[in-house]
Amino acid sequence: MQRRRLLTTLPAATLAALALGSCSTPALPGRSSPITLEYWAWNATQEPLVHAWNEMHPDIQVRHTDAGGGDDSAAKLVTASRAGNAPDVALVEYPTLPSLMVAGAVAEITEHVTGVDQEYVPGVWSLTSFDGATYGIPIDAGPQSLTYNKRRLDELGISVPTTWDEFAEAAAQVRASDDSSYICSWAPGEFGNFAGYAQQAGAHWWDGRGAQWTIDIAGDESLEVADFWQDLIDRDLVSTQPLLTPEWNAQLNNGQILSWPGGMWAAGVISGVAADMAGDWALAPLPQRTPGDEEVGFEGGSCTVVTTSSEHPEAAAQFATWLGIADEACRIQIEHGQYPASLRGQELTLESPPPTFMGGQSDYWEVAAQIAENTLPQISWGPNVNVANTAFQDAMSSAVNNGTPLSAGLETVESIVINDMRAVGYEVTER
Amino acid sequence: MSRRRWIAPHLFLLPAGLLFVAFLAIPIVYALFLSVRGAEIADVGPFGTRQGTWVGLDNYITALTDTEFLLGFVRLLAYGAIAIPLTLGLALLFALLLDLPRVRFANFSRIAIFIPYAVPGVIASLLWGFLYLPSTSPLNWLLDAVGLPPLELLAGTSLYPSIANIAIWSGVGFNMIIIYTSLRAIPEEIYEAARLDGASERTIAWRIKIPMVAPALVLTGLFSLIGTLQLYGEPTTLRPMTNEISQTWVPLMTIYRDAFARDDIWLGAASSVLLAIGTLALSLILLRVTQRGAAGESS
Repeated sequence: MQRRRLLTTLPAATLAALALGSCSTPALPGRSSPITLEYWAWNATQEPLVHAWNEMHPDIQVRHTDAGGGDDSAAKLVTASRAGNAPDVALVEYPTLPSLMVAGAVAEITEHVTGVDQEYVPGVWSLTSFDGATYGIPIDAGPQSLTYNKRRLDELGISVPTTWDEFAEAAAQVRASDDSSYICSWAPGEFGNFAGYAQQAGAHWWDGRGAQWTIDIAGDESLEVADFWQDLIDRDLVSTQPLLTPEWNAQLNNGQILSWPGGMWAAGVISGVAADMAGDWALAPLPQRTPGDEEVGFEGGSCTVVTTSSEHPEAAAQFATWLGIADEACRIQIEHGQYPASLRGQELTLESPPPTFMGGQSDYWEVAAQIAENTLPQISWGPNVNVANTAFQDAMSSAVNNGTPLSAGLETVESIVINDMRAVGYEVTER
Repeated sequence: MSRRRWIAPHLFLLPAGLLFVAFLAIPIVYALFLSVRGAEIADVGPFGTRQGTWVGLDNYITALTDTEFLLGFVRLLAYGAIAIPLTLGLALLFALLLDLPRVRFANFSRIAIFIPYAVPGVIASLLWGFLYLPSTSPLNWLLDAVGLPPLELLAGTSLYPSIANIAIWSGVGFNMIIIYTSLRAIPEEIYEAARLDGASERTIAWRIKIPMVAPALVLTGLFSLIGTLQLYGEPTTLRPMTNEISQTWVPLMTIYRDAFARDDIWLGAASSVLLAIGTLALSLILLRVTQRGAAGESS
């Protein structure tokens, strides 16, 4: 009798103690009490954005968590989604959106965002909407551009390259005038960076819908890009160290890394690690293959998604949309140097002063607008970009370490991506 | 009375039993379940949708035929060959030195050697990362001052010693404490007898102390072996700083990449099961060999 009571109450007490730890009050639908949305996002704009939203929307409060940068956050999102406790809204990079959809983590929000497509150019909207179904709201755009140390290039008497041939020449000039400096670091782990260059060259790495895909990661256009950088590496005209390490940061601050050809958000990132250099850096269009061309690909850029775990998809979609198109939200983005994806946000940039770090360049936003206008309209990512990304990092790093051709690394990536897709039942054609 | 006698031990076991079931037994069963499943694409939505399906032993075959996963074990071997003997050797040496009669600053030294163990692995790795990278390394600053070329400590042949160094730095103190505690448990009379026979401190250390702390050495050896097989934090933290550490550098990194970055939790589960079985087998072999050695010595 006594034994039985003890044995039954003890586990119950333990369970109760465990349950207390995770206790929270669920908001009932159709009530006036405020609902709380969980939101995962990673950059410096998020705290002020969430603060601004919460001030204006007492009935829908948002709680922000920084769950790590794009890749980390996406990995956690899938895991949390499997456990059924993903946040309501999350920031996601365009290339990772499809794999999150495949994993069943992202909810379709078409019915909650009627008319929002009018706020974007079709090319940007097509990054988050597929066949008329919307899965995310574009927030910031990451067209590739050349963010460069103007003070140092002027000092060395090197003009800003407008074509890749000029870029190679400039790289040689930098080496010739100062052997401790490089024009940039081509880091073999930067999948999104290389993908952007390949897009500019005309490559379509993934093409298809549903279960049928054509893969062309190691096609002629991409191999040409690989060979271009191979040549610069072989001639020691670019460094191959990873970006944003203590080493790279130190060299950048010393004026030994003179540019970052990458997403337009690069300036914001540099300002975070080299705040003292404010005014020294400037933005220019990405070099082109053919003189006179203006087209560029995307590197990164992010959208907000509503997860399938959310119990308040409508409110979540409302918040996700506000982040993309509301004036207040766009202004906060612009202040931090992000280039908004929405038409209204881009309009607002033209009446804004340049971001503090790029203060030396009065036409910063005009240059940005011109670059964004020339972003390629048809960029499509595939269902297993995460596999391609991980394969790319290792294949290209090992190519650089062992002195084997980058083009062979690219072929490895392609075969891994194709095998991965076939293994789970996609029908894949190799172009 | 007899019933009460039956209750007490079971009551005491209950908390540990519950924790064991919740955090070990259930996860192991779940991992086994996941390891025989896999993904299948349904032609739903713009990119297809992933569904779980039964795949039998496919994941085990994939893991066992993945050269990168297997190469991870080879890298572990190279790393372990540096880290384990040096950690245990230094721990034993420090313990013996601290145990010498009339040693000065014993308490201070013991704490100083132990303190790195209290620094979390990720922080230790970041800290050492800064010390290794050419532009931020004080070592290279010194080398530069005397006109020598800088050292690349996170590249080429230096990579293994550099990573092993972090584990040695943080592991020596912990192992030293175990060995030292075991040294303090040796009865004083044995030393007196040895000294009467004219044994020097070195002879006492070699002939008496080391054989008598052999069980502690086996224990620390076992901990180090398991710790080596679970190497993850140091290389993962250093990976963004160098191109030389791949995402599959050691088995646990491959498991993380497959399960989370590639969203193939099923393959990750199968690899984890293989790693766990391997660890268990190695531990049993080590225990068997050392026990046989100890038994042979006494007979």
